[in-house]
Amino acid sequence: MLFWFGNLVYVAVLLVNAVAVLSEDRFLARIGWAGQQDQGFGGQDVNIKAKLINLISAIRTLMRIPLIMVNIIIIVYELLLG
Amino acid sequence: MAHQRPAFTAASPPFLHHPVPQHPIPHHTMRSPPPLNQPQGTSSASAYAASPYQQHAAPQQQAHADQQMYPGYSSFFDPATQMGIQHVTKHAIGVGTDYIEANVNRYVNYTVLKHYFNVSNSYVPAKLRLVVFPWRHRPWSRIPKAVGPTPSPSDGMFLPPRDDLNSPDMYIPVMAFVTYILLYTMLAGLRGHFHPELLGKLASTAFAIVVVEILGLKFGCYLLNISNESQLLDLVAYSGYKFVGIIATMVVQEVFRSRWLKWLGFAYFYNAVAFFMLRSLKYVLLPENAADNPRGTVHAVARPQRNRRSHLLFVYSYVVQFIFMWILSSD
Repeated sequence: MLFWFGNLVYVAVLLVNAVAVLSEDRFLARIGWAGQQDQGFGGQDVNIKAKLINLISAIRTLMRIPLIMVNIIIIVYELLLG
Repeated sequence: MAHQRPAFTAASPPFLHHPVPQHPIPHHTMRSPPPLNQPQGTSSASAYAASPYQQHAAPQQQAHADQQMYPGYSSFFDPATQMGIQHVTKHAIGVGTDYIEANVNRYVNYTVLKHYFNVSNSYVPAKLRLVVFPWRHRPWSRIPKAVGPTPSPSDGMFLPPRDDLNSPDMYIPVMAFVTYILLYTMLAGLRGHFHPELLGKLASTAFAIVVVEILGLKFGCYLLNISNESQLLDLVAYSGYKFVGIIATMVVQEVFRSRWLKWLGFAYFYNAVAFFMLRSLKYVLLPENAADNPRGTVHAVARPQRNRRSHLLFVYSYVVQFIFMWILSSD
């Protein structure tokens, strides 16, 4: 039941990885979750689905390069010390 | 040591732990204006002993005395030098403190955090009683702070915990967190399972659970458009109150040593904490009108949106708390 704090980091990185590998045109577009660009201001009544789509596309564009770095660091660390 | 006692009697000047000059010093010729309130010591040692108390003399004495500092090798014992050293030390410490404060302030908002530790002796037992027995309490809304004539950045939007029982504080959660870790390891030690690693593991588990809770709740807030920028610390505080219930459960289990009573205690304290959080978090997640939310950021919320928010509130304070309290109180 108990675990070290590093496991939390692993879980977070793996979850972000899982979101980041979703393919835009092969998977997300097929189920209708592709990012829409027509969101203007006044988004008071946006529903949960739009929020989720927005979050996924944000993670995919923003976290790509940092995730590569973090993954490399974790892989090297695990290879050397794990 | 007892045979040395007579050396300290009043007949001789008191022994000093400073370097005592071995030869006579022309002390009285060196000093710039003679201090008025100094008791005129007969020996140079007693004059030196009085010198630390001369630093309250006028500051311009230092500049005047500096010109006369160099002619004598004994200037180290000069009161002006003493004062200079003290001044430099004080200045250095002040600079260091400023540096640390500036760097800490960059990451942690000091004044906001201080607001959460502003508790009183009467607040803490009342709040603990409220967490353990929240059924008859009313009302649950926090008291907004009256806007003073000169708004200062240290002003919170609400009264501090000292004046308002419903205000979240950080003192009880932090203390309960530490107590939980120590109590758990102590109970493990009583059963002979103690290992130093347990402390770190338990601390990181409990901390991770709090982090996961906050992240989940923030995610829910994001999905449901609940925009309360300042409430992150409130959420941290509220998620720490469950440690009180966990500690109570563990104590019940340890005192009665009965599995049946342990589940009963867990059920009661879990319900109490969940009810407490449901009521307290209502103003964070479900701001009803302007009186509940002085910032006025929340507009009229549609009916289905409001229903979803109540669902989030219920799931967080009952389901999520159940899972985490179960994990934390099991052994």
